[in-house]
Amino acid sequence: MLRKLTFKNFSIGSIWLWLAIFALIPNLLVLLTSLVEQGDTELIRLQLTFAHYSNLLDSVYLRIFARSIFIALEVTFICLLLGYPFAFILARLRLSERMKSLLLLLVIIPFWTSSLIRTYAIVIILKAKGILNTCLLHLGLIDQPLQLLYTNTAAVIGLIYALLPFMILPLYANIEKLDSRLLDVARDLGANSWQILWKILLPLTLPGIIAGSTLVLLPAMSLFYISNILGGAKTMLIGNLIENQFLAARNWPMGSAVSVVLTLLMALMLLAYNKSRDNNVETDLL
Amino acid sequence: MKKILCALLVALSAITHANSTPTLNIYNWSEYLPDDVLAQFQQETGIHVNYSTYDSNETLYAKLKANPEAGYDIVVPSTYFVDRMIREKMLIPLDKTKLVHFNNLNPALLNKNFDPYNNYSIPYLSSSTGIAYNDNYFTKGSITRWTDLWQQRFSGQLLILDDVREVFSMALLSLNDSPNSTDPQQIANAYATLVTLLPNVKLFNDEAVKAIYIDDDATVGMAWSGDIYLANHANSHIQFVYPQDGYIIALDSIAIPKNAPHLANAYAFINFVLRADIAARISQATGYMSPNAAAVALLPAAIRNNPIIYPDQATLKRGIFQTDAKDASALYEKYLERLKIRA
Repeated sequence: MLRKLTFKNFSIGSIWLWLAIFALIPNLLVLLTSLVEQGDTELIRLQLTFAHYSNLLDSVYLRIFARSIFIALEVTFICLLLGYPFAFILARLRLSERMKSLLLLLVIIPFWTSSLIRTYAIVIILKAKGILNTCLLHLGLIDQPLQLLYTNTAAVIGLIYALLPFMILPLYANIEKLDSRLLDVARDLGANSWQILWKILLPLTLPGIIAGSTLVLLPAMSLFYISNILGGAKTMLIGNLIENQFLAARNWPMGSAVSVVLTLLMALMLLAYNKSRDNNVETDLL
Repeated sequence: MKKILCALLVALSAITHANSTPTLNIYNWSEYLPDDVLAQFQQETGIHVNYSTYDSNETLYAKLKANPEAGYDIVVPSTYFVDRMIREKMLIPLDKTKLVHFNNLNPALLNKNFDPYNNYSIPYLSSSTGIAYNDNYFTKGSITRWTDLWQQRFSGQLLILDDVREVFSMALLSLNDSPNSTDPQQIANAYATLVTLLPNVKLFNDEAVKAIYIDDDATVGMAWSGDIYLANHANSHIQFVYPQDGYIIALDSIAIPKNAPHLANAYAFINFVLRADIAARISQATGYMSPNAAAVALLPAAIRNNPIIYPDQATLKRGIFQTDAKDASALYEKYLERLKIRA
């Protein structure tokens, strides 16, 4: 019994230690760095300041935040439009469990390749003399190659491609657990398809929608290399801003401040998610 | 890792060869000296060469700063780093009486402000920053100056080199200011004019410029002459313009760093690459312009008369060498960052 207890303490203790070393301390370091001044020869100077946060209120930075959030929302919305039907069909398919897990595996397989390489693969597709343009030219749909690469559209396509699985997986988990009898009942009681979707499906799968959206929205603001490679290093998103501050401008405190703000944004979204789950529990009880 | 290994190898072979074979330690840009030329030098002189390479002036500078006794006999910095290294007393003044082929060099590329009288540096290879465009998309001859790039017809189409000094050189030249300006007001004006160029910018890039132009992914913008010389072979529609309002010539020069252990062998090497036949082979193999006039005369007419790699004297006169921006370097960096934030 005693041994069991020590084992339990040991395993919990090691998890705490792990979290402290690899999550808590790095985050605290980022927070601390954001509160000191930039050094001339060293990276930082130990002098307390809130200037980096007040600098963030500059219209230039606010514009980057606004644009980032707008693009991220766009990506999230399109991922939801594509991912929801995908997850729904996958969850409702009358297939064996093995077949379903195989299909799910196909969603995950791209992750086995570095996302940087997958981004370069998109370059080959979107290039002026790339696969897409060659096909369209041969089909006679266009007579001049579309200039898709190095545009915002290309960056958005890249982000959607990279993040779609993060939308599909939570939605699938949520929809699969859904009691299909509820849909039959609704239909028996005379609800049309639209009403079923709007009044039954969407409210019941809201936790999945929120989980997926959170998982897509945040990376969409921080995957700087996708906007660098596909967008032509031109559109600065929050992720690019952090990279730029750390590497090009060598202003680590400012980069840290941006990063802290991004973390706070995520925390707010997680709070909202938890709140929606709480509400759901209440409706379940009713 | 590779670099550390190279350095270790150089150090190791320097020790083992210390007393037996005459040795020379060369530190050069990558792909800047053909293997067969190097082999011929070792064969003719009996000097054993330890050859290592770098990919940026900053790397070279950092290495010599970190270890002034690194043991290199030959380095090949660009103009503005020659400037900086002379000022920081990192180079040895050259004894020109020992340079038997010095007169082979093109006078147009000698005695420049980064090293008056070439007391410290001997020009090795050169390239220029100009405008590239694809004549499938833009009428031939319709682009002649940097200021043309501000025209509305280029909206969202320009490739801009992702290099702080190159970007600001273009802007300063378009305003008739020196690309080596250290005047905060002029740099601020250059920044302001770059902001007005942003609607025309398609992308910032500096690593795949050649491929981007060859594949039509950008059809107009800034470029280095060497890239376009090679790109033009793959896609003959790509043209290169030496802008009328001036342009930057990058010139990489051979210099001997302080504490070089094999001085005599270093002079032997400089004399070897200054030979017309050798300099011609180096230019031909690398695709860069040779500052060696006697060598250019030996080149096949197709290369010698190619206006991309070998522009005429009148064009060369417009070229401006970069000097070190000194304290203004940080200012340039700051403005580039602000520019990108606004993009």
